[in-house]
Amino acid sequence: MVNVTLSPLYRADGSATFTSNGYSVIAAVNGPIEVQRRDELPEEAAIDVAIRPAAGVGGVRERHLESIIQNTLRHVILVSAHPRTLIQITLQIVASQDDSLYPGNLPQAASNVPVLPALLQASILALLSASIPLSMTLTATLISVKENGGVAPSPSAQDLEAATSIHVLAFSSHGDLLVVESEGYFTMDTWEKVYAKARLICHGEKEEDSESEDLSMDTEEVTKLEDILKDAVRQKVAAEYRWKQSPDSAAT
Amino acid sequence: MSDRKGLQMEFSYVRCRVAETLPLELAPGSPAKRLRAAGNSQSFGPIPGRTKFALQIQHPPFLHNGNQNNSIHHRTTPPTFPAHTFAKLAPPTYLTAHLTSKGVPIRPSGRSPTQFRTPTCHAGSLTHAHGSAVVRCGDTAGVCGVRGEILRVEDVADYRPKMAEEEERVDTEMHSFQNVRREKREDSEEMARLGLLVPNLELATGCSPTHLPGGPPSTLAQTLSQRILTLLHTSNLLSVHDLRIWFRPPASAPICRGQEHEVMREEEEEIVKAEVKAFWVLYIDILFISLDGNPFDAACFALLAALCNTRLPHAWYDADRELVLCSDDPAESKQLHLYDMPVPLSFGVFEGDEEAKGKKWILADMDGFEEGLCRENVTIVVGEEKRVVRIEKDGGGNVGGRDMRRLVELAVQRRREWVLMLRDGPP
Repeated sequence: MVNVTLSPLYRADGSATFTSNGYSVIAAVNGPIEVQRRDELPEEAAIDVAIRPAAGVGGVRERHLESIIQNTLRHVILVSAHPRTLIQITLQIVASQDDSLYPGNLPQAASNVPVLPALLQASILALLSASIPLSMTLTATLISVKENGGVAPSPSAQDLEAATSIHVLAFSSHGDLLVVESEGYFTMDTWEKVYAKARLICHGEKEEDSESEDLSMDTEEVTKLEDILKDAVRQKVAAEYRWKQSPDSAAT
Repeated sequence: MSDRKGLQMEFSYVRCRVAETLPLELAPGSPAKRLRAAGNSQSFGPIPGRTKFALQIQHPPFLHNGNQNNSIHHRTTPPTFPAHTFAKLAPPTYLTAHLTSKGVPIRPSGRSPTQFRTPTCHAGSLTHAHGSAVVRCGDTAGVCGVRGEILRVEDVADYRPKMAEEEERVDTEMHSFQNVRREKREDSEEMARLGLLVPNLELATGCSPTHLPGGPPSTLAQTLSQRILTLLHTSNLLSVHDLRIWFRPPASAPICRGQEHEVMREEEEEIVKAEVKAFWVLYIDILFISLDGNPFDAACFALLAALCNTRLPHAWYDADRELVLCSDDPAESKQLHLYDMPVPLSFGVFEGDEEAKGKKWILADMDGFEEGLCRENVTIVVGEEKRVVRIEKDGGGNVGGRDMRRLVELAVQRRREWVLMLRDGPP
């Protein structure tokens, strides 16, 4: 269901596509490159994020998403390793569920949260592909809460329309909560359930002393997102180092 | 005095390191008193002159052979600086020194870490707007004006009247919380599709030193506009019912009742049903006059205060003239009904300077100085019955899932204060 391609673009320093749950994003990273005097930071790299929507040109919605991603990546990238440079991240939304939610053009007030996990994920993969030094990686997921209070991971367009609240949570590879965008009407009990579920999906383990025992409902095996990303990177590295392997070891 | 001035001028050449900080001496009295003292003195320090910080300065070699006036004497007694100089030289150290001061941690503004600024508000001061408010929250001040304009149904590209009229049905059996919620969601979806709420936020030239005149709206202004817009739509603050302008056919003429029932019935069949002919579009403009941190909370307060103050004139569709008419009688105008009061509270996470590794302080309702030092931001919006409307967080991983409940409690506490203030006016 999650589909990852590393370095599909050969002109950019690094690139990646990420497809999951009806959202598909292609990301390109250039950096560290020369920065305009105006944007230059004396002690760290400036990060520039540009988002292009699936149709039309970017507007205020995209500026908001850009600022969320920029703030997050500033924490993730080791910005102090490249002072007075620029790391440029361009994200193109290729497909989104909004097309089925809003036939015709998308109203500006439509929620911009559902596409965020794909954007975050694609940008992190592109940064990995560009070999930008990072202090951590991150995984993000989208969860909706149904009217009966049930937690639905990877919701479809219909689920999103019927949901009482929508949540995007991103976790670092250390298990810290990095990004939250929750909207709708919910109680803190619901939010904690969502938090536990999202942590399980992204990071694969519960918090040490979390007392939420109602997690036992999902006994089915969840492949955690972190592993999916790791596998994608591992396969890419293996493919690139194929020439190094001796013919007999490749045979085995 | 003169040599201190000289030292400040030479500072670009001097590598200085903050070696030790003298214990902070804070203004006596209650936090409120201190806050007032800090507010009057227009500086970052609790009371200028009282708080002094010691800086140990490593003099550059040229000071010793050239014009060396008094600087050598300072080796034994390090020079002291007024608090605001220290704040400019080493902002993170300055804030850490405050937060690690003896006793309770206190912020440069005199507030405790989780204390928020109480806003003041003056509603209804703009005469040309249907509702307005001037709001001040510390040194952040803004004006919000709400103006209703009429959007005719003919002008909507793909208007589907079915959706609007369907909701006219009397819902007798649906009164559970979920159904009400669902209905409200459909409402706000229609509002979003028609674009009935148009908030715009502007940061005025000179509102803060970082905002240069001219140029397109900054990313901050655009982000804030978008956040206000999504808040308006996800919080079910307003209902599309109150923004509809109806065409109601003249009530079944009471004069001829009883005489010609037959004719009446025939006529009634001919008469078109009541239908929506136009909508009120609310243009909500927020202008920041001064910006000293936390623009989102101040903008929300201004927005709520202006919406509470909004009265829309009575409007109806006149079939003969094919126009929407408004009554100019103030007695007929109607107060806009607010279905909820979403109240935000923003936090920043301060990680301390280099020496305070691993520590964190969660600061509520930051001012401009603190905002420059915090990268991780959390905003929580709560509605009625302790329900959360929005949680936004980015920029770091210090606030985890377990801290969230405490922050929500604080937001609920602030909501109580704000609701009292908005309902009953300032105390």
